[in-house]
Amino acid sequence: PESLCRRTVSGDGHGEALSNMDDYDKTCLESALVGVCNIVQQEWGGAIPCQVVLVTDGCLGIGRGSLRHSLATQNQRSESNRFPLPFPFPSKLYIMCMANLEELQSTDSLECLERLIDLNNGEGQIFTIDGPLCLKNVQSMFGKLIDLAYTPFHAVLKCGHLTADVQVFPRPEPFVVDEEIDPIPKVINTDLEIVGFIDIADISSPPVLSRHLVLPIALNKEGDEVGTGITDDNEDENSANQIAGKIPNFCVLLHGSLKVEGMVAIVQLGPEWHGMLYSQADSKKKSNLMMSLFEPGPEPLPWLGKMAQLGPISDAKENPYGEDDNKSPFPLQPKNKRSYAQNVTVWIKPSGLQTDVQKILRNARKLPEKTQTFYKELNRLRKAALAFGFLDLLKGVADMLERECTLLPETAHPDAAFQLTHAAQQLKLASTGTSEYAAYDQNITPLHTDFSGSSTERI
Amino acid sequence: MKIFSESHKTVFVVDHCPYMAESCRQHVEFDMLVKNRTQGIIPLAPISKSLWTCSVESSMEYCRIMYDIFPFKKLVNFIVSDSGAHVLNSWTQEDQNLQELMAALAAVGPPNPRADPECCSILHGLVAAVETLCKITEYQHEARTLLMENAERVGNRGRIICITNAKSDSHVRMLEDCVQETIHEHNKLAANSDHLMQIQKCELVLIHTYPVGEDSLVSDRSKKELSPVLTSEVHSVRAGRHLATKLNILVQQHFDLASTTITNIPMKEEQHANTSANYDVELLHHKDAHVDFLKSGDSHLGGGSREGSFKETITLKWCTPRTNNIVFSSISELHYCTGAYRISPVDVNSRPSSCLTNFLLNGRSVLLEQPRKSGSKVISHMLSSHGGEIFLHVLSSSRSILEDPPSISEGCGGRVTDYRITVVPLASVIVKESLTEEDVLNCQKTIYNLVDMERKNDPLPISTVGTRGKGPKRDEQYRIMWNELETLVRAHINNSEKHQRVLECLMACRSKPPEEEERKKRGRKREDKEDKSEKAVKDYEQEKSWQDSERLKGILERGKEELAEAEIIKDSPDSPEPPNKKPLVEMDETPQVEKSKGPVSLLSLWSNRINTANSRKHQEFAGRLNSVNNRAELYQHLKEENGMETTENGKASRQ
Repeated sequence: PESLCRRTVSGDGHGEALSNMDDYDKTCLESALVGVCNIVQQEWGGAIPCQVVLVTDGCLGIGRGSLRHSLATQNQRSESNRFPLPFPFPSKLYIMCMANLEELQSTDSLECLERLIDLNNGEGQIFTIDGPLCLKNVQSMFGKLIDLAYTPFHAVLKCGHLTADVQVFPRPEPFVVDEEIDPIPKVINTDLEIVGFIDIADISSPPVLSRHLVLPIALNKEGDEVGTGITDDNEDENSANQIAGKIPNFCVLLHGSLKVEGMVAIVQLGPEWHGMLYSQADSKKKSNLMMSLFEPGPEPLPWLGKMAQLGPISDAKENPYGEDDNKSPFPLQPKNKRSYAQNVTVWIKPSGLQTDVQKILRNARKLPEKTQTFYKELNRLRKAALAFGFLDLLKGVADMLERECTLLPETAHPDAAFQLTHAAQQLKLASTGTSEYAAYDQNITPLHTDFSGSSTERI
Repeated sequence: MKIFSESHKTVFVVDHCPYMAESCRQHVEFDMLVKNRTQGIIPLAPISKSLWTCSVESSMEYCRIMYDIFPFKKLVNFIVSDSGAHVLNSWTQEDQNLQELMAALAAVGPPNPRADPECCSILHGLVAAVETLCKITEYQHEARTLLMENAERVGNRGRIICITNAKSDSHVRMLEDCVQETIHEHNKLAANSDHLMQIQKCELVLIHTYPVGEDSLVSDRSKKELSPVLTSEVHSVRAGRHLATKLNILVQQHFDLASTTITNIPMKEEQHANTSANYDVELLHHKDAHVDFLKSGDSHLGGGSREGSFKETITLKWCTPRTNNIVFSSISELHYCTGAYRISPVDVNSRPSSCLTNFLLNGRSVLLEQPRKSGSKVISHMLSSHGGEIFLHVLSSSRSILEDPPSISEGCGGRVTDYRITVVPLASVIVKESLTEEDVLNCQKTIYNLVDMERKNDPLPISTVGTRGKGPKRDEQYRIMWNELETLVRAHINNSEKHQRVLECLMACRSKPPEEEERKKRGRKREDKEDKSEKAVKDYEQEKSWQDSERLKGILERGKEELAEAEIIKDSPDSPEPPNKKPLVEMDETPQVEKSKGPVSLLSLWSNRINTANSRKHQEFAGRLNSVNNRAELYQHLKEENGMETTENGKASRQ
């Protein structure tokens, strides 16, 4: 029981054909999809959107390996033979059926294929032939796919009075910010307005959703694309492309400026949505204008702050870059420091606690020179112990300081003994937990002593 | 992604009843005697933390990690429970930091072991937790206001983490029932209130903790749905470090975190400053930073964590940064980065961790390499700080779909190299029927601009499309241009008095004083500093320019490398070089000239305009006008009088 049908599966990395699989004599859609899955991941990783085009006659195979069988068992898979859908990369699955709707509906084929799209989180579409199976109708079906999935994205790049018609490649994908509160996918404007310029060092390798080539295009009066200006060697010298190459284009000006200045242009993609335009050189000394999209939102890059609050240098009272261009207002500092930048106290491991006690002890032995550091470390420990309700530690450290006092060498400065005794006493008081001595915001201050006069003043 | 998922609101309910004052029975040695001083001294007896201390420090560690990685939109409300509930903070963003919580906990203090156990219960805290979950956060409020009629899309979910010492499984059951009932009641209340929200989903995480060495009276139970609104799970955990480990695992689960171990970090030894050893540092971050590993099932990359906590960590190798990263960041580095995630070190105060974080906080970036079996080197991540926050950047390491794109010089406008401001504003404005004052000003500016260009002998931006050979001479070009402009303006003077004024301006400018002619000629010899940027747009052959800019790039690159090499020698990890924002300027004299041949930036075009406008407001100092490279030759007339080099210029300046 074999069905003979020819099937070609080709994945597509935004226009570039990946592979053509060999012809088999048995339809086994699942293994074909697994194959696509592997090829795409090996080649492109998991982040690049791919369009997978599945061409089928609508026969789904028979027995084991048939699509019906695959779908029936797709819930009973182990990790190793996971059903290939949804694809583990952003994808669109386009199923091109070499059959018309009536033929497909006569069996459960259409249902099964629709299941595939559903399994791919609804990403994709099924195409069928209108009318009888003939070359013209097949071409028209593929024409529809091209219109849907491969239409170039045209936009107008604007900067003040300067404009350029551009093609953005690959087509920017719609983006959903929050599926719950804002489920409508955001689509980028076709008017791309440059709102400012910023140093590459200031924008500092920002994370982006996707990145696109911005190609200037020449349009005729009707708005049809005439050419990209790219010339083939054998082309007529006065061809449209040759002419386009000699007409000044804002993209070229922008690209050159950004490259020379080491800057990027911030571009408005939509309401509260920005991106950046920059010059990118590939290894072959070729250079291009690229656009990267930031995540939509009022503050896509924490180190730049709110995009709406960025403005021209001339708006600032003082040049934020300094008169000699020797400083920068970026990155912005966050209001609260992160734990690794603020010397937090963590005693989960004994070593953490031991290090903090050792620090106090080391400074205790260098009193009175290290009085300030000694009390700083002591107060840090005191605060943490009070917060954690670890009063036994305060008592323990007090005992330890008292012992240190008895171990002081004869040569020690008399102040050392005073400070140690004072500190030990204060810790003991705090360890009672009474609000008078255990206030979190109150620090133990050094004992005021004066050894300068002839009489020793004791407090 | 959902902003208002369960992890938007976390309520900690920590038991503050008398039995929590009990020791966890895990000793901590805190009196580590230093060598040479140990004779005859008996170290102080080790101490142990109470169940309360263990609970508080573990929950603080949970919060530390959460605040490091999600400083916004993930909120904690801390409640302690004894004879009543003490709510230590609110949902407001200002209350969301460790210092606030620590201060509030210090005010509460440890549980009183002599309090009456009959009056105390964890139930007070659980009831307060449900109550607080109904309270709207500022983020929820903001989203609801923004969505207006769609305000109901804003979800209200939350998580209650309750640390207590339960008596039995049935005691646990009782706590769960109580929470469920309270949610039911409070949802009714919230339905009739404007500032309360009904709880849609609540995750109860009950942690029973008990002293080490005792038998647990409560059994573990995985997550179970108690009602459509409430799920509950029970963890029975020994106190001490076991509790801390449990909360560390939970914070990772609750906030979708993953672990990366940076390996091979070279670091100077504390004791032996001359030797350097390699260290590992484990960092936590959102798991999306591993998206490429997760999807491709490449999890063999990592081994188990050193804590033995069953969690996976992915190992990435430190690549010692080249020093030019920071020095030249303004011109070179713009990585293709697909994500940036805040990090938190697992062991924040350990020496390796703080060495790494301080290094990064000083402004360095470190590339991280993925160890591959094949031995090929793949840079997949970068650690970098931005304003006191450290981010793990994901760099794209898979093939690009934009391979070998055509160069911009091959496309539209690619053959044109002379991009400048032209007479466009005037031409488009003058045809209008009526002009505003601003229009007149714009036209005048355009005319002055042209005068200025002529004075400097700049080439006119005439399209050379279709022309062969060199075309008319420059003087001739200007004559033609002025004639055309006059014709254009004259054609519109009858429109208004303002049109007339534009013509007057034009005519005034055309009848240049003889002095102007002289200056024009001198201008050809000048190359003063002011002019340099303007030079950028003029005087070069079209076909040469792109090659030039490539050549410039080469020169810059070479200069960069030389400088970078010099940096390496004097650089020490503890004293990073301050970022040198404009290294190009000081490098060499030759690239200066070359640089001016590159395409000019909008910025310099604009500043030129401003400079020109300003320069018209005062008489330029004669010395600067005549200067070459900003140096004016003094006593020129002496040379002439000696008959050495009688130039027209010299005469003009004397007369």
